[in-house]
This record gives sequence, structure tokens and C-alpha cells, in this order.
Amino acid sequence: MNLKKYLTLTRAGIIESLQFRLSAFIMVIGNMLYLIVVYFLWKAIYASVGNEPINGMSFYDTLIYLVLATALSGFMEMYTVWEMGRNIQSGKIVLDLLRPMEYRKYLFWSYSGSFVTQFFFTFLPTFIVVAVLTHGAIPLGINLLYFVISVVMAVSINYSIDFIVGTICIYTESIWGINIMKQVVVMLLSGATVPLAFFPETLRKVVSCLPFQSIYNAPLTLLLNGDPDPAYVLQTLGIQLLWVVVMLLAGKLFWRVSLRRITVNGG
Amino acid sequence: MSSIQIKNLTKQFKVLNRHEGLKGSIQDLFSRDYKTVTAVDNISMTVEQGEIVGYLGPNGAGKSTTIKMMTGVLEPTSGEIIVGDVVPYRNRTKLAQEIGVVFGQRSQLWWALPLIESFRILKDIYRISDENYNAMMDFYRTQVDIEPLLHKPVRQMSLGQRTLSDILAAFLHDPKIVFLDEPTIGLDVSMKAKIRTLIHALNQEKNTTVILTTHDMGDVDALCRRIVIIDKGKMLYDNDIAHLKGFFGSYRTLKVRMDGDLQAHAEEIRKEVDFSVSADEEWISILVDEEKEKVLDVLGRLQHTHNIRDMQLEEISTEEIIKKIYEEGVE
Repeated sequence: MNLKKYLTLTRAGIIESLQFRLSAFIMVIGNMLYLIVVYFLWKAIYASVGNEPINGMSFYDTLIYLVLATALSGFMEMYTVWEMGRNIQSGKIVLDLLRPMEYRKYLFWSYSGSFVTQFFFTFLPTFIVVAVLTHGAIPLGINLLYFVISVVMAVSINYSIDFIVGTICIYTESIWGINIMKQVVVMLLSGATVPLAFFPETLRKVVSCLPFQSIYNAPLTLLLNGDPDPAYVLQTLGIQLLWVVVMLLAGKLFWRVSLRRITVNGG
Repeated sequence: MSSIQIKNLTKQFKVLNRHEGLKGSIQDLFSRDYKTVTAVDNISMTVEQGEIVGYLGPNGAGKSTTIKMMTGVLEPTSGEIIVGDVVPYRNRTKLAQEIGVVFGQRSQLWWALPLIESFRILKDIYRISDENYNAMMDFYRTQVDIEPLLHKPVRQMSLGQRTLSDILAAFLHDPKIVFLDEPTIGLDVSMKAKIRTLIHALNQEKNTTVILTTHDMGDVDALCRRIVIIDKGKMLYDNDIAHLKGFFGSYRTLKVRMDGDLQAHAEEIRKEVDFSVSADEEWISILVDEEKEKVLDVLGRLQHTHNIRDMQLEEISTEEIIKKIYEEGVE
């Protein structure tokens, strides 16, 4: 694989996103507001049960989990679905299809620059603030390595899901409603808005059979567990790897089938 | 070596029969009432390496659909198509390395970045060697004043500058074939001339095959020796431009404006002259064959019988050529 032709797109993405400084600052502020809401909401929830741990998670555990989940989601959101929808609707997709690389890869690498900027502007600051404020509630050991591996796979699964949802636009010519539904489903079933520990037993069983929990729940549990059981680590990463492969193939296949009926709007 | 071969190419789309109004729109949600639209109907042609072919037709004739099939974006419903030495829709990514495209109404450049950054990205994704890249940039410098453009973000460019940049970008990886889809649309006369000169120079220097779709007969005159005309998906004409000009060269369109009901005036004029007369809201158009009668003589005669407020003289347009081909045929 010639990595250079992909990395050049990452580089362009970084330069592009740095052009829009104001939008980056506003996003940071938006995230802060969300976190303040989360803080008071869960404080109220814990107050209502007399500040006892719920399902093994104390107020601080939950808060750390949710703050990091928010930072992670800022990092992983690539707006792939919007972009595909817009390109299919306007017909601009014809130009992307004529790049000398697969569309799926082209799109991914074009937006990969946002990983780098988001990592430095959102995730890392949040992580450091949380680590300092909680005086070492985030263990710093081998779990960081597991976390990184897990996040890489989470990014891949998340992108494949986005790509599949974006492909639906070829049929519907409109993406708004579908994307809103996708966001709600992914954020809820992945454990990004409510930790999976709070789910009822049955729902938790169902969710554990779906790809979504590999996006947020898997990396975050690996990160917050300082002394993980090797069998558990292996199992979590193994399931993630399985979903990476399954979703990748599903996305590729669905795209190939769908492309044959693309009409390309305009001119 | 021929660079494009097309045989009996056909493309059909299935389109939902839409109904009007709110009630109709709700019905459409559950409708299975599809109709088949034939966008390209049994077209055959061969294009040799290094040719510039003008591909003409009115809006909706199927020009862009043909181009999308030639570039591999659309799969033909039937027929054979070979571009370079591959079947486009099966080898789109591979073919992309060998072709360049410019769609006059959209840009392939990185909108927020200076042009030079777009060129650098293209250099990497097309894997252009430093040597070839520099040689190409040197050639560009001899053709256009590129320096002021290089450091300007694409979004700040005028339409003309952007089109020029898009054409340079399409030729950057030295493709064998370049598709230009209405490259001069919306440009002023001097920019059009600049772009025509550039396309001509690139074709001469690199022996690049160019497929040019346009509405502008000026583009065709300046660049193409051969033209292909399609209308409603069907091929009407495929021959050199000299042949067509021999046939149509003596025609001019005389347009006059008068007070009163133009349709009634047109009716009267039709009786007075031997030519095809039509009227729209503003103008009465008379297609004059100068071998039969000079335009000025026609105008002189009309002046006696009608009160002419304004007049225009036009070269024959693609639409009129197509109309004449239908009425009389060429060969």
C-alpha cells in the first residue's frame, strides 16, 4: 500500500480544518456546555439514590466515563454521512468517484485530518483535565495501550457504519432523517450517552451482540480499568476485530451493489 | 491506436412517475409506477488518440450521461465501451489514472486551500514523479500566468480563474484522455479565448485526446476538427466540422423586434420570405440562406412592410443546426 497518497489527504484535511479556527473554538464551547448539563443531570440522579454507587459505578466513575465518551465522540465524528448525502444530492460525487482510489478510502482519508486536530484540540485537553481533577482516577499503565488499539478499531467500525448509512442516500436522495436516527441509535446503544452498566439486563444482552458497543463502551472500559483481566482484554479486542471485519465487508458489498444504480444528479 | 471505442451504447434510467400537488406527492410515497427513460440510445463511435472531438447537443440530450459512462461512473444498460484499453465501469479506479475531467459547473480542487496545495495533493494521489510534475508546471508557466493563482485559495477565485485552474489540474498527471464538460460555461469572451488557447496547446504538446461538450459553437470552431451531435440520446451527426459548415455556413439568423403581436407579424413575414420563421416573446427569428438572398436584402424588404424597432444578426446555433438536420438531413 502506498501510504503517501493517503497521508497527503490527511495533511490537506488538517490544513483545511485549521482554516476554520472560529468553528473549532465554538465546538469546544459547545462541548463544555454539554458536559455541564451532564454533570448536573447525573448529580441529580445520584442524589435521588442517596449517592450510593449504581451497578458498581459511583458518581465520579460515571462522570469520568461520560466526559471521556463525549471527548471520544468529538474525535470520532467525521460527518461522513452528511458529506456523502450532500455529494450524492449535488452530484459532486462524480468527481470523487473519478479519483484514482476507492471512494470508501478516499472519503476516509479526506476526513482523517479531523482525527489529528480533534485529538489535540478536544480529546487530549479533556483527558488531561479529567486526569488532573480526579487525582489519578484514570489509571496510567498498560491499559493506555489497550485503549489506543481499541480506539483504532472503534474508528474503523464507526466509519463503516457511517459509510453504510451514507450509501442509503443513493436510494433515498435525502439523508437528514436517516442520519438523525443513526446518531441516536449509535449514541444510545454504544454507551456514549448512558453507560451500559445502567441498561436493564435484557437490553444489555441484546446490545452486547451489536457492533455499537465496540465503538464507545469497549475502549472506555479498557481505559478505566487499571488492572484488567487478560482474558477480558482479549475478548473485548477480539469482538471488536470481528466487527471491524464484518462491517468493513458489509460496507464494501453494499456500496458495490448500490453504485450500479447511482444516477448522478445534475448536468 | 484508438483511445475510445463505443459500440451500440445505450443507457436507460428507471424514473418514478411523479404526480403533482400534495395529494400526488403522498401517492408517490407508495407508487410503483416507474417509467423507463432512454438517455443514450444506441450510440457508436471511435475516437483516435490525440483527437479533439466536439460533442454537441441541446440540454438533456445525453451528453453528460455518455461522458459518465466513458469515465466509468455509470454502467451502460447495453452496448460495448472501451476507453484506453479497459472497460470503464469495471476498472474505474484504474482508469482514473489515465483520464482527466473538468465539469464546468463544479470544481475538483480543494476549496479552502491555495491552488498550489491542490496541485501537491494531486501529485501525491496520482503518484506523479517530481520530474514530470516540474516539467508540467514549467509548461504551464509558458502558457498562462499561473503565479498569481498558485497562492490564492480556490474559494476566492473568479469563475474564470477557477475553470482555468481546474483545467490545469485535470492535465497535471498527463492523462491520455481528458473530458471537458462545458468548460466555458458562464465565462466572458476573453476568458473563453484564453481557455481555448490553453486546451489547444495542451492537446498539441501532449497528444491528449480531448472530448469537449459545449453549447458554444465558438469553442467548437476554435478547437475541434470533428464533431458529434446527439439529440434525445440519438446520434445525429458524426463527421468533420468543415462538412457541416459547408452545409450550414451560408445560414445566418436574422432577429427582429417589432411592436404588436409577434406571432401575427411572423405569420405575415412567412408569406413574404422563403425561409423558416419563428417567434418567441421578444424576437422574430428568420433563418436566412445567404446563397438565396442576402440578409441585408431581406432586412431591406422587411423595413418597407414592417416597423422594425431592433435587430440582431447571429451565427447559426447548435439548436438550429439540429433542427435543420431533422428537417433536411445532412450527407
